[in-house]
Amino acid sequence: MKESLLFLPLTVIYLAIKSTLFPAFPAPDLPLIIVFYMAYRKAGFEAVLLGFVLGYIEDAFSAGIIGSTSFALIAVFIAVNLFSRKVQFSTPMMRGGGIAAASAVKGIIIYTIIRASHAEASFLSTVVLQAVVTGATSPAIILFLSRITAWVSPQSFKDNVN
Amino acid sequence: MRMSERHIVSLLKRNRILLVSVALALFSLHLALTDRRDTTRAFVLKEALSAMAGPLQRAVLAAEHSIKGVWSDYIYLMEVKDENDSLKKTVLRLQEENNSLKEDVNQNARLKQVLDYKENAGFATIAAGIMGLDLDGWTKTITINKGASEGVVKDQAVISPFGVVGRVIEVNSHSSKVLVNLDVRSDIDVLVQRSRVKGVVEGTGGDGLTLKYIRQADDVQVGDLILTSGLSGTFPKGLVVGEVTKIEKSRESFFKYVEVRPKMDIQRLEEVLLVRDSGFFTQE
Repeated sequence: MKESLLFLPLTVIYLAIKSTLFPAFPAPDLPLIIVFYMAYRKAGFEAVLLGFVLGYIEDAFSAGIIGSTSFALIAVFIAVNLFSRKVQFSTPMMRGGGIAAASAVKGIIIYTIIRASHAEASFLSTVVLQAVVTGATSPAIILFLSRITAWVSPQSFKDNVN
Repeated sequence: MRMSERHIVSLLKRNRILLVSVALALFSLHLALTDRRDTTRAFVLKEALSAMAGPLQRAVLAAEHSIKGVWSDYIYLMEVKDENDSLKKTVLRLQEENNSLKEDVNQNARLKQVLDYKENAGFATIAAGIMGLDLDGWTKTITINKGASEGVVKDQAVISPFGVVGRVIEVNSHSSKVLVNLDVRSDIDVLVQRSRVKGVVEGTGGDGLTLKYIRQADDVQVGDLILTSGLSGTFPKGLVVGEVTKIEKSRESFFKYVEVRPKMDIQRLEEVLLVRDSGFFTQE
């Protein structure tokens, strides 16, 4: 719960800055990284709800189609949750690759919804560029998230942060 | 509970997160796909989300605006400072130029005055500039930038448009030393312009002169102009020496004590004229 309370305002601030100061800049997809981080660590109700809420918040800030990002993030959550039973995202490389793939999935979903709504969208920027940037920056961001997670909730013997 | 029911409940419990996720995903997908068609359904949610996002975005933009304003003001002030420094340097340079030009104008005026005097003097002169002054001690001398090479000789009269300066006492090849009439060693034959009474003006070693050998009966008044008499042969006749400022009569002395204030101010003098002609003996 503490993590969600920390990640929620962090995402809101990040999206507020991104949507106003760097609207055209290919910035890392922080909500996606948070959902990925939560999904492979402890896939509980908290993580699902956080993904659901973060999706709507992102739609609100990006003025996108309400529900599209939320759907994409939950889809990513489900996929990561299922994959994490088979694949261990224990190294930065694995996390980076996994997040790039998750970002691509999210991008494809949103691109499809946008196209289904007969709106214009660039596949390159919506999917490819966003996946590359998010995948490349995700190890550092996950390290940052794990640090602040450890800061708000001291690590116990059973609770393996990474 | 039957076996199949228990199995279903167990399956649901094991996959409850997945089920919840799918339910939320389907809800979101439905909302997304009907977003454009059914506006009333998503209206409340949209309003709520924009009510949350709007103020935050405005706050970020306001902060950006403030930071940009501070930055641009800072840059502007830096540019103003650079411009100010540059302008200060320009002002200093212009002040120097202005001072130089003023100096040139003053020098031009002085030289013109000297030239006019030289042309109307009625005798040949050599113009010279003052290189140095020795006026602090009891001696009063100046050094000029003309010497034997330029035709300067010892005992030559040194004058200015304002009056008598002194006489040459030492001649070098390109400079000369002039004994100023304020020096105690200086004595010049003079006469009172108004009454034509003759006497000798001597330096006091200070800023004034004394007119000597004026008898108690001689007609001398305060304000009388003292001119060179031309008797000594050094100075041409009629050059202004000074003005009587004080007269003291004494029954015990045969002569009056007469103080004369020189007309020329040696401290302000920068150019002088040396009289080339000699033998200005006059016969009254």
